[in-house]
Amino acid sequence: MALYEFRLPELGEGLHEGRIEKWLVKVGDMVQEDDAIAEVENDKAMVELPSPVTGKVAKIHVEAGNTAVVGDVLVTFEVEGEGNVSADAQSAAAAAPAETNQAATPAAQTTAAPAAAAQPAAGASVSHAREVLATPGVRKFAREQGVDITQVQGTGPNGKITREDVEAFLKGGTQAPADTAPAAETKTSTAKAGTVAVTGEEVEERVPLPGIRKIIAQAMARSKYTAPHVTVMDEANVTELVKLRAEIKPLAADRGVKITYLPFIVKAMVAALRDFPELNSSLDDERQELVYKRYFHIGIATDTERGLVVPVVRHADKKNMWTVAAEINDLATRARSNKLMPNEMKGSTISITNIGSAGGMFFTPIINYPEVAILGVGRITERPIIQNGEVVPAHMMALSLSFDHRVIDGALAQNFINRLKRLLENPRLLLMEV
Amino acid sequence: MSTILESSRAIPFRQVLDPTGKVVDKDLMPKLTDDQLRELMRRMVFIRVMDQRAIKLTRQGRLGFYAPVAGQEASMIGSEFATTKEDFILPGYRDVPQLLFHGWPMYQWILFSRGHQHGSDMPKDVNVLMPQIIIGAQYVQTAGTALAFKLKGEKRVAITYTGDGGTSQGDFYEGINFAGAYQVPAVFVVQNNQFAISVPVRLQTAAETLAQKAVAAGIPGVQVDGNDILAVYAVVKEAVDRAREGGGPTLIEAVTFRFGPHTMSGDDPTRYRTKELENEWEQKDPLVRFRNYLQSKGLWSEKDEEAAMEESKEAFNDALKKADAVPKMTIPSLIDSMFEVLPDSLKAQRAEYSEKEEA
Repeated sequence: MALYEFRLPELGEGLHEGRIEKWLVKVGDMVQEDDAIAEVENDKAMVELPSPVTGKVAKIHVEAGNTAVVGDVLVTFEVEGEGNVSADAQSAAAAAPAETNQAATPAAQTTAAPAAAAQPAAGASVSHAREVLATPGVRKFAREQGVDITQVQGTGPNGKITREDVEAFLKGGTQAPADTAPAAETKTSTAKAGTVAVTGEEVEERVPLPGIRKIIAQAMARSKYTAPHVTVMDEANVTELVKLRAEIKPLAADRGVKITYLPFIVKAMVAALRDFPELNSSLDDERQELVYKRYFHIGIATDTERGLVVPVVRHADKKNMWTVAAEINDLATRARSNKLMPNEMKGSTISITNIGSAGGMFFTPIINYPEVAILGVGRITERPIIQNGEVVPAHMMALSLSFDHRVIDGALAQNFINRLKRLLENPRLLLMEV
Repeated sequence: MSTILESSRAIPFRQVLDPTGKVVDKDLMPKLTDDQLRELMRRMVFIRVMDQRAIKLTRQGRLGFYAPVAGQEASMIGSEFATTKEDFILPGYRDVPQLLFHGWPMYQWILFSRGHQHGSDMPKDVNVLMPQIIIGAQYVQTAGTALAFKLKGEKRVAITYTGDGGTSQGDFYEGINFAGAYQVPAVFVVQNNQFAISVPVRLQTAAETLAQKAVAAGIPGVQVDGNDILAVYAVVKEAVDRAREGGGPTLIEAVTFRFGPHTMSGDDPTRYRTKELENEWEQKDPLVRFRNYLQSKGLWSEKDEEAAMEESKEAFNDALKKADAVPKMTIPSLIDSMFEVLPDSLKAQRAEYSEKEEA
């Protein structure tokens, strides 16, 4: 009968201690190898400790509730045969290293012969202390010529060994101190520029820009070159909103209205604009004045076959959600059939552009100048997020807000997005904004 | 919720057996003898039992580093089974089963896990590298190894493994691109077990599948049910055969799941996976599916199962004894294990430590 001490092993990387949560055995119990004997809690997880031996629990050293450090003896077992605290075991462990030198290293036996062969001359030591600088090509050349490159004196930059150095070493003469760098330079500078080949297979076609394309091109260039754009991006957890919309859908069908997320975004945006009026403004460059708009006309960028148009939901703050929804449907339908009146595409104070319907997430929308901000809405993706330490499924909406940095600073823009997010994440709060 | 990349329009998803063990694709069914089929099952049971034991041993301090494999047996064993002993395996740290069946003695694996240098002292006829710890690094090494086979005119194939997380590494792209450019005999296996430690695949890439990354490298890419050992074998066999005949490399994504934690170094899967997800994957257990199939053909009995379990336990016990009997590693022996001809600097260190150890 011998004693076996079980010490707390390292139960994870960088874990130095563990709290004994509960002993599953008591003194006198018989345990089998691999039986669970205790539950231990550490920084990362709660784990069961299995017994490393079959035997009888002789002593428990650390009471439940106490913390042990890696290496502490937790429990002593009485075991058949050899334990790990007998005198024999200790002396065996001490004897082990001596054997290793001879037994476990087949490489050691072969060391002597090749090392001797590699020495070029008696007494010359192969020192690796000095670095050898040489290109692989030169090293290969040296090997082929049977030259030990460590014996060659380099004459290149920083003592780099060149092919000439190796050749000089072979001849046994002194090595030319010639600097090879200028020669290399002349070589490269003599290279001539190639002539351009025309294949005749590259067909081009020129078409005049359609009117609407011209307008888009001018508007985009003007905005981008006038207003220094910055885009902040964020995500809103719209799980609740998704549920709410699903609830409303049948009601909307009864009314003959198609309910998208846009009406919610419009209403949330109006609410946020009340708190951050700078975003609902424009800059009068000439007079160096900021014009606050006390009305809320929301432009809705709409993709049509002819190109992008931005019809406007006027006085969005004074309309309820149903009305906004119906109006967006109507404007979009007429935009696609090219039936919008010009004044329906004018006068917006801020715009929304939705790339999510085409599947995109984050992007950097261009402001509908002279407005000072535009909200880009990306698609809603269902994916796991971590909430209170748990992985839960969530619907995440991608938001990209481009703003004119002449008027708005980054923190302000982010605060605006934060406000928007709160409303989109808790659509019940929108009640307060009706 | 869907965190799983499973089917795709761009890349074929191959399956022979559905999760209940029913044959769904007769054309892909590999030509294996009854004995070979039984051997595949025996190996999966062997590894499942070994894995459970290894987890316990790490908690007793008797094993060092260990990355649990339960759940991925079909991907690991099916793919290795499609290679020959001459083929070269460049594994990731979880790929111990492939190495064992390729010839790595089990006691040396135990020593490797404990950080003993003799663990990685591969026998000459075992064509494997030690498990790579750097994520994805083996992908570039594989391109080089396979290029060597090609230049030497040897009809050998280099096969490598990484996880879903590995595909986010630069080395992954460099490896498959180089292999494609030089049309080397390589097979790149991605065992997509859904989580890179705790990060789900969806947060790692916008790509719908990992196999489709082959498109950019200009090499064939295929997605296979990684819990279906017959499909894994068939797909890897096709890739290995093609590579051997000069047809170039293949990228294979095996869609699977690890039942345990990432490694025994302390991650707690309950913090990043839901019970529902785990239950969902337990329904797709590779052993259950293949056992059902074999039983329906009368090729596997309770007795066979017990024999395989017993064999695993015995092999592990023997290997433990053998590993325990190996003398403790010393610093001089570690120094000797690296170079054929010891550089002077290491000679000096070796001499210094030898004196200390003698003192």
